[in-house]
Amino acid sequence: MAKMMDPDESNEFGVGVARRLGADEAILMTVISSERMASFANSSVTVTKNVNESGQMVYLAKDGRRIIGSSSNPEKSSLERFIGLLYKSMMSLPRDARYVPLPSRGRGYRPRPGHDKRLEKAEALISGYVEEAVGAAESAGARRTAGSLGSSVTSHHIMSSTGTLGSDTTASILLNIRAFTDRDASGHGLSCAAAVRDFRPAVAGERAGAHSKRMRNARPLDEEGETYQVLMSPTVASNLLGLVGEFASAFSIEAGTSYLVDKLGKKVASDALELTDVGRGDGCLQARTFDDEGQATQSTKLIEGGVLKSYLHNLSTAKRFKTKSTGNAGLIEPGPWNLEIGAGDSSYDEMVKEMRQGLVLTSNWYTRFKNYRTGEFSTVPRDGTYLVKSGEVKAPIKGVRISDSLERMSSSIRLLSKEREWVQWWEVDTPTLCPWVLVDGVTVTKAYGESPPQGS
Amino acid sequence: MLLEEYKDLADYCVREARRLGAEYAEARVHGGKGTGFLLKNGEPQPSMIDDSFGIAARVIVGGAMGFGATNLLSRVRVKDLTATTVNMARSSAPLVRERIAMGESKTATRKVRVAEKEPVEGADPNWLKSLLLEIDRSVVKLEAGAGGIKIPNRIMVASAGVEEKYIVTSDGAKVESRVPRFNFFGILTALKGGDAAQRMIQRGETGGLEIVKRIRLLELVEEEAQTLMEVLGQAEKAPTGIMDVVLSPELSGIAAHESVGHPQEADRILGREGAQAGESYLSRDSLGMMVGSDEAYVSDDPTIDHSNGYSPVDDEGVVSRKRKLIVGGRITEFLQNRSTSSLLGVKNNGSSRSAGFDREPIIRMSNTFVEPGDYATTEELIKEVSDGIYLKSFTEWNIDDKRLNQRYTGLEAYRIKDGETTALVRAPVLEITTPALWGSVKGRSKRLEFEAASCGKGDPMQGIPVWTGGPDTLLAGVRIVGGS
Repeated sequence: MAKMMDPDESNEFGVGVARRLGADEAILMTVISSERMASFANSSVTVTKNVNESGQMVYLAKDGRRIIGSSSNPEKSSLERFIGLLYKSMMSLPRDARYVPLPSRGRGYRPRPGHDKRLEKAEALISGYVEEAVGAAESAGARRTAGSLGSSVTSHHIMSSTGTLGSDTTASILLNIRAFTDRDASGHGLSCAAAVRDFRPAVAGERAGAHSKRMRNARPLDEEGETYQVLMSPTVASNLLGLVGEFASAFSIEAGTSYLVDKLGKKVASDALELTDVGRGDGCLQARTFDDEGQATQSTKLIEGGVLKSYLHNLSTAKRFKTKSTGNAGLIEPGPWNLEIGAGDSSYDEMVKEMRQGLVLTSNWYTRFKNYRTGEFSTVPRDGTYLVKSGEVKAPIKGVRISDSLERMSSSIRLLSKEREWVQWWEVDTPTLCPWVLVDGVTVTKAYGESPPQGS
Repeated sequence: MLLEEYKDLADYCVREARRLGAEYAEARVHGGKGTGFLLKNGEPQPSMIDDSFGIAARVIVGGAMGFGATNLLSRVRVKDLTATTVNMARSSAPLVRERIAMGESKTATRKVRVAEKEPVEGADPNWLKSLLLEIDRSVVKLEAGAGGIKIPNRIMVASAGVEEKYIVTSDGAKVESRVPRFNFFGILTALKGGDAAQRMIQRGETGGLEIVKRIRLLELVEEEAQTLMEVLGQAEKAPTGIMDVVLSPELSGIAAHESVGHPQEADRILGREGAQAGESYLSRDSLGMMVGSDEAYVSDDPTIDHSNGYSPVDDEGVVSRKRKLIVGGRITEFLQNRSTSSLLGVKNNGSSRSAGFDREPIIRMSNTFVEPGDYATTEELIKEVSDGIYLKSFTEWNIDDKRLNQRYTGLEAYRIKDGETTALVRAPVLEITTPALWGSVKGRSKRLEFEAASCGKGDPMQGIPVWTGGPDTLLAGVRIVGGS
């Protein structure tokens, strides 16, 4: 077998190959990841997983032509062949009027605290954490549980022909647990942390188990097509408000797939909402020191006092918008790293007391947009869902759907909690530090037709 | 062509896993090469080329399953991978309350090759770019006669690639496959004053670049753009209430996929997807249960030529076949893999697929569709409706995680009066339970058409190519809500 290269050697070799071929510019980024996971269902482990990958992202430019490649073969001769193929393909393309040259060198990177080294050997921890989470859920009343517990350690190594050089490692551990007492009675719990010391599997399990117990005998909502006050847990709020971070990508603005088009400097949310993209910071699950163009990452206020302050940019979108890169490349599409929604000053109990008629939502899934340009969407609450009347949680509810617009909901945020949690799971791609969020006047619908007899 | 040395690594992985004590072992070398091009508002973005190969190992040790993957394709690395995978499975065994077994499925030894007239491998990015530019120009031209309606935002992606696999198992499967594909995805946004309408278009087939002509891609996108402008310019407020609704093949297909295919995946029924994609309103005892009218027929068929979900042998090395999911309103079959069929004591129907070398094979749909019926044409079916709606395309949709409570919002939708389509109507919403939907099926047309989609499931998420399809399907007396 041919020799594997270490990441810096691979990058240096790749940049050298590109230069010898005649490329004006080249970026080589090697990404090495190690993931460990245990999945469980019916409180029984169904599979353990270990995945180790090493991939190269290659960017080449020549006379205004550009091309991007990704390869998973780090072996020397294969990388050389791959870059040769890329170069040849690039030279068949016409010049790109929107080409933006790389800066002479990337800005210096501020070092950030190292990742939690214990996560490099997470296979030794995972089984114990699963046992802890499942045990806590069952102690809280669950008859069975399902979920996944996974860790990842990812390092990015970058080198460019213009002098950029950097490496960066990030790590996280995520638990997603669902507890059931019967088919219609389920609860959801998450724990997401960048370090083992912040990971709380028992808390997540207990939360899932407790909701599964409270959800027994859930009933359909009597009314239809009315508006309700909705108190969204961090899990739900991060799914919906976290999407605002993606809508703030300058790519989405240019593509017309965002309701934030032409809204820069305008009011797009209630005064209470602050949304910030954070490239690097304490507790960030997806911290990055530099972006895919080698630019230093930063914190970017997207919404402050309800006003849209900035889009997210890479070098080329920044040039077109006559501003500076926010360090959020994606070579084609800039996007958020980690999102933070500003904390409010309410407690959960105070927020419930503010509700006349409403719903408490603890989890949701399947958010889909009727129109990204207008932000109209619907999403399906699941797990702990409760009717609130006159400031008191009254009854578990099933079979409802939120059908509204993201801008209208953002503009109707009344309160946010002091307490915030990191959320990342199946329905939340971008890690988001999120409070409980109380929104007025949300449209709630339900399906027409009877449910079938339930199986065992 | 997969390198012989990669295949040797897979064979070695299985032998090594068995040597380390695995009662079952499976290895899969899996990867592909592809070229993609993205056009944004008529402006080319950098071309993209992918080249990705790796190996997956899956083992059962003491009733516990382990999965491992790496793209570091050396013997030393594969030895490490196999050892880690076996060790992690073994150490999880005390937490396995339901032992896992692969059962007695008949394994295959086969080579699968999808023919292509114009090879996708090494497709010229400049050709893809020219194709998209031509489509884009044809869309922009339509603005001239559109009374002020513009389509300023146009995202178009074309990709061509080949997926290759070599699967070997400790009980005799040896399957090699090479499947080329062409895919198109687009989002068009039409604006008129402050009003907007948006259409997502997805097409995908297996085969060579000849697909572009076979599916009339240019004309198809142009027609979609024209319709989008008509929706924005002409559609009236949709009626609400109980009425007959005709679903087009596009709507029939998404309903078949979401509320029949998914809930009849045996792994969901058994709870294995509980925390992510959810479970099912059905139980292991639901075979034979009536969930629809005697006109409700839904199938899933991985053997359809050219199909996006073409998978004649699954990723556990088992020959796949057509699955009849609902016959005359009655549930007749679930989608199975080796372990679920073993657990449920039924025959395996080969439904296991993985999205890449770094993903475990799980139960997936392939091409899920409502079976065609007796009505010769769409028009003949519409003649049955005195007052209703024809839902021809949709935008937003979703369904709860037991697959009972679903919603489809129409994009191109027409009022039906006295057996004929009349005016376009804006965004009618069908929000309905699964038994209500399939229980209301009254008739189906003969025409059978498919749409391409990427179906998401698993953790980590696996998007996998499928077709959804069907004929025109008449639903009698269902409720339309929320038209705007």
